[in-house]
Amino acid sequence: MISKIINMAERKKDEDDRLLESMFASESIADDGFSNRVVTQVRRRIWLRRLALPVATVVGALVSFKPLAGLVKMLSGFVALVPQDILSLPTDVVPQFSLLLLGAALLAACMVGLRVLED
Amino acid sequence: MTRSEDHQLVARVVSGQDSEAFGELVRRHQSHVRNFLRKLTGDFSAADDLAQECFMRAWDKLHTYSGSGSFIGWLLKVAYTTFLQSKRKSKRYAEILEQVGHVSEVESRTIGAQADEVSDLDKFLAVLSEEERAIMVMSYACGLSHREISEATAMPVGSVKSVIFRGKQKIRTSFDIKDNQHG
Repeated sequence: MISKIINMAERKKDEDDRLLESMFASESIADDGFSNRVVTQVRRRIWLRRLALPVATVVGALVSFKPLAGLVKMLSGFVALVPQDILSLPTDVVPQFSLLLLGAALLAACMVGLRVLED
Repeated sequence: MTRSEDHQLVARVVSGQDSEAFGELVRRHQSHVRNFLRKLTGDFSAADDLAQECFMRAWDKLHTYSGSGSFIGWLLKVAYTTFLQSKRKSKRYAEILEQVGHVSEVESRTIGAQADEVSDLDKFLAVLSEEERAIMVMSYACGLSHREISEATAMPVGSVKSVIFRGKQKIRTSFDIKDNQHG
């Protein structure tokens, strides 16, 4: 019953509708710097987001410096476990090969960490 | 103000975090959003603060706009959510103030703002519930279709229609709007 009444009311835009439309109609509000304020806030937010990751990385690096140093020490112990044949071959060509290997492992770990932070 | 222009601007914002394009979107729609919130809150300065918050949310969530409906419909959905959340927050704030024995500042401020200037429209809106008011404003002031209102309020189209019908009935019984028109 109610839906029938609603459908009947919907069928035509009656006088009440037109009156309500004219009563609800209002003049458009002048911008008066409103959009500039919003854009300024948006730009500030973009900068904050851009800075957030490097700042978090630096702070994280400072906080985790000591444990990381311990990790490096431990990993260098693992490098010693790599058979000498494998290490000695490139060491002849590239000196400090073992350090490069360690650096690559750390870089990979950092990249994974950054991706996790970004997500 | 065409829908395709809105879509192009949205695409520019989403693809390149283009704040200029977003500024253009704000310039195009600020009047509708501020008007909507002013009619809901009855307080111009609070409405403008909410509008600013609404646009910041829109910036954050713009990637969720699918482009199937109108952009203003989506924006009013964000505005309505912002309004409801702020209302919930101020209600909680008032409850805490009451618990510690203070008179609710929020309440007295709103009453003060309403008492300053009461138009015919304010009288009409006063007889409606919050939900009815939001839907009537979306329909009659912003010109959204029933489907767009349904998307903005997460209500079925049938419920939107019945809320509008009920709102009109309430206004009709509370005021003789035909007399008002001629008087």
